[in-house]
Amino acid sequence: MNDVEKKSGGISRDMVMMVVALTVVTVISAALLGLTDRVTREPILEAQRAALKRNLEQVLPPHANVPMDDVIQLDADKKATPFYVARDASGSLLALAWEVVAPDGYSGSIRILIGVLPDGTLHAVRVTDHHETPGLGDGIVQNHAWIDFFSGKSLSNVRWAVKKDGGDFDQFTGATITPRAVVKAVHRGLEQFAAERDNLLAKAAGK
Amino acid sequence: MNKSDILADGFWHNNTIFAQLLGMCPLLGVTTSAINGFWMGAATVLVLLGSNIVVSMIRGFVPRDVRIPAYITVIAAFVTVVGLAMNAWMHDMYLILGLFIPLIVVNCAILGRAEAFASKNGLVDSVLDALGVGLGFTFALMLLGSVREIFGYGTWFGYAIFGENYPDFLMFILPPGAFIALGFILAGVNIINRRMGSRAANAQPACTPAAHGVSEQAS
Repeated sequence: MNDVEKKSGGISRDMVMMVVALTVVTVISAALLGLTDRVTREPILEAQRAALKRNLEQVLPPHANVPMDDVIQLDADKKATPFYVARDASGSLLALAWEVVAPDGYSGSIRILIGVLPDGTLHAVRVTDHHETPGLGDGIVQNHAWIDFFSGKSLSNVRWAVKKDGGDFDQFTGATITPRAVVKAVHRGLEQFAAERDNLLAKAAGK
Repeated sequence: MNKSDILADGFWHNNTIFAQLLGMCPLLGVTTSAINGFWMGAATVLVLLGSNIVVSMIRGFVPRDVRIPAYITVIAAFVTVVGLAMNAWMHDMYLILGLFIPLIVVNCAILGRAEAFASKNGLVDSVLDALGVGLGFTFALMLLGSVREIFGYGTWFGYAIFGENYPDFLMFILPPGAFIALGFILAGVNIINRRMGSRAANAQPACTPAAHGVSEQAS
């Protein structure tokens, strides 16, 4: 098998063939990948935008503008969380939506889009990405009554914890970690809104 | 082997799941529903077709000592292509299967076909082999997904078949249900094989190209 090594010193023809073969295979593979990336880049961005649009429609009240293109940020930094603004026909602010992340899900981060009215009340909440156990933790997506329980809640009118921890939110049988993580993340989002409320509303109005 | 034997062998007699017990990771991971099983199978068929075609084409050119890295590069490229395409044009399904698509690379069934079949056979036969094996794999994934979805959620491809008030049978959705259902399916397959009097599945449940090569030559 390793007749290459029998020829000590000097480079054998077999060895050259190996290098040539692997080089050709990798170059062609790379070309294929580059081509695919070019073809799929736009459709992927579009699909992601369509998914974001669908989720925004669900967490924001009926509006007259395009929230996806009406974005404000707390920092000038491009990576800062985008806040999507919903406005009525006269241009005044109806609600803000942004993404909060629960880093402490049962398996990995849970991404959650929350829609908040100017007075700090939640309009609606949707989970946009998670890797929780099918049949247990994924109740945060499958169980509509559970996620709809967030609607109308604010920092003051509900105890922000799952029932096991003395709060008002249901956990699921056999899965407490997932609902706990979501409740905590949404709570943090509302606290952030309370802290930055004047700043955010001024930015939204000034735009 | 004649053409229809290649198809039948890949689909049934040497079925990746039923006979070789390979590819268990995607099998147990994604088969919580029939539709997930179907699309995971479809993605695997595309990768298998691509890799078998290319491996068959380069089989005379790649030296034996570096064939495995060469095959894996080809397979990884096709997996990435399928993943990107799915992300672009089937975004919702990608969100569900996304985690498992890159893992097709390490589905030893695919490297197994490259090593045991495509590297020794011509283009047409390799395409037929990819179709037979791929469709057999898809069939197995869909079958297990169907069993788990029907018993777990009371639905099939999303349609309620036991009425709206079916109490979810959680065990079938969770991993233990996958193992239990798979056990019964394998028992059923063995009964069918015995009834048909066909030769016993002789492939070994080992994930080494060598084992593939041996079983392939023996069959």
